[in-house]
Amino acid sequence: MMRSTPFMETDMRHISILAALLIAAGGAHAESPRDFLTRFEKEAGAAASPERGARFFTTKQSGEWSCASCHTDKPTQVGRHAKTDKAITALAPVANAERFTDAAKVDKWFRRNCNDTLSRLCTAQEKADVMGWLLSLK
Amino acid sequence: MQTDTQAVRVWDLPTRLFHWSLVASFATAFLTAESEKLRDVHVLAGYSLAGLIAFRLLWGFVGGAHARFADFLPTPRKVFDYLTSLMNGEPQHYVGHNPAGAVAIFALLGLGLVAAASGWAVYEDMGGHFMEELHEVAANGMMAVVVIHIAGVIVSSWLHRENLVKAMVTGWKNIRNENPAG
Repeated sequence: MMRSTPFMETDMRHISILAALLIAAGGAHAESPRDFLTRFEKEAGAAASPERGARFFTTKQSGEWSCASCHTDKPTQVGRHAKTDKAITALAPVANAERFTDAAKVDKWFRRNCNDTLSRLCTAQEKADVMGWLLSLK
Repeated sequence: MQTDTQAVRVWDLPTRLFHWSLVASFATAFLTAESEKLRDVHVLAGYSLAGLIAFRLLWGFVGGAHARFADFLPTPRKVFDYLTSLMNGEPQHYVGHNPAGAVAIFALLGLGLVAAASGWAVYEDMGGHFMEELHEVAANGMMAVVVIHIAGVIVSSWLHRENLVKAMVTGWKNIRNENPAG
């Protein structure tokens, strides 16, 4: 027992360092929907307009799809892929706690879906407006 | 000297059709990866890629001489010797796949299977975030191998003074009697 104690202490220290690193790494990832609103507003240099976000989301901009083509104009409900007909989980944070909690995912899907609907990237203002609207949904 | 060269039939037709069809299906899948509008094209390209690889795995046992896995199984020693011979400017010459190319082939077959299987799972909403990551890592890994493969083809074509791209189109190589290894 006397012999094994120092080893165990070292092990414990390693484990707690590892755990701290994992929590730190996880913490850097886990964000809340509000964080994205704040981030996009800061990037845009202007406050979000939920009304403008609703219009942007539900009407076709320059392509044949709008956001609502897949996410419906009630994003608190389950959506349907306009090409494959597959179900898409609700987008509004109030209806789906997993949405807008991972920056890498949020950036990836804004990039992809803006290209599909606008054939370009969305501006920070457009993203702020959409976030503002999604967060206003009950 | 012209008289020293000899035309050799290296790649059978199924092997060549497989190669260029795989190029087409992988390029299509890669270019449509980010588009939901082209999701059906992407899925079709993925199924094509999986089918082509299934055929190639079979052809690796029953195909033409240089198409068989037994003809080009790359051992670490063979790969090391081949790469060393490239560095020394006296490249070992293989009629069929050289050991470096063979590594690329097995990597592409393996990564292609992982990409196709994980892509199918993602499409069926299985495996969550992990499966998406696996799909992207496998596909990006394939692209990395493709880039290295193309670089290798250019370097080898230049060092051996033979047009490897043309050989994969016509099936024929003009073999000169230099430093033969296999």
